[in-house]
Amino acid sequence: MCGKCGCSDPTNEVKMVDPATGVETLIRHGGLVQADDHSNGHHHDHDHHHHQPHEGEDKPHVHGPNGEVISLEQAVLSKNDQIAARNRGWFEGRGVLALNLVSSPGSGKTTLLERTIRELKGKRAIYVIEGDQMTSNDAERVRDAGAKALQINTGAGCHLEADMIADAVEQLNPEPGSILMIENVGNLVCPSMFDLGERMKVAVISTTEGEDKPLKYPHMFRAAEVVLINKMDIAEVVEFDEDACRSNIAEVNPRATVLSLSAKTGQNFEPWINKLVEHRQ
Amino acid sequence: MHELGLSRNIVSIVTENAGDKPVARVKLSVGPLACVETTALQFCWDIVTQDSLLTGASLEIEEAEGDTFLIKEFEYREMA
Repeated sequence: MCGKCGCSDPTNEVKMVDPATGVETLIRHGGLVQADDHSNGHHHDHDHHHHQPHEGEDKPHVHGPNGEVISLEQAVLSKNDQIAARNRGWFEGRGVLALNLVSSPGSGKTTLLERTIRELKGKRAIYVIEGDQMTSNDAERVRDAGAKALQINTGAGCHLEADMIADAVEQLNPEPGSILMIENVGNLVCPSMFDLGERMKVAVISTTEGEDKPLKYPHMFRAAEVVLINKMDIAEVVEFDEDACRSNIAEVNPRATVLSLSAKTGQNFEPWINKLVEHRQ
Repeated sequence: MHELGLSRNIVSIVTENAGDKPVARVKLSVGPLACVETTALQFCWDIVTQDSLLTGASLEIEEAEGDTFLIKEFEYREMA
């Protein structure tokens, strides 16, 4: 568990639920690292004569300073990145447009998906992978809207990782030329680090969240190619300053395409749909 | 965030590369845009290295540029 915020990685069970059949599949078993019985370390034969005590450590040290040094230069996330690259190749080979939807909880990602699915009906097949810690409510909502969907429950996990997408894609089997929407766990921090193999990240921010969110969470907005400002229908009521928000987004990511819309009322929804259709081929 | 999982990745990568020899020190290279809280990495290091080839190994972190997040090198423990 992270000592800063209490968030965790998907180290415990991660499961996948097909809302059409209710079938659950365990895609990651828990217990990679056991909460150890002897975490106090007092079962070990301690040598308490430290010559060079390391900071914050109370462990036996039997090493000498001249052990062989191996240069590694390996990215810590290389495994995730390799699987992501494989996913990306698979998507490109089939002409599947895969989008990684990121936002904080409650920004309206699922409502956005529901309308997107309805508007694209008859134009292009759409598949959805829903990431949440618990419940398959969202997968059921998008399935009701007409898309084939799978739910991934990350348990304690705060983000989706590439291997989960690989498993989900195998089961969903999106047809060539379709769109695959991956709704990440609602979180503006961790998902920015983990490549899933998507064509691009789409960040959703809503008018109720405050104009300075892009400045508060710059990593996520820097990683997104498209930023959608949602809930524009209530912008006036919540005194949302669109210009300020756009200039904050531009400050952290000048290249981002910014579209303001309302997923609930459908206001200004066309540019978003066009953007999706544009990416056809 | 998620430093526990990241440090677990580090342990598994080093273990794969170390063969079966114990490791005394691991050095990372972390940039300011890597989204990695180095104090949190240090915080869980003892737990994730427990009962592995890295038991008791120290964790060194050097500052790097941009979003660098690498395992720079590791040092074998000198056997007595």
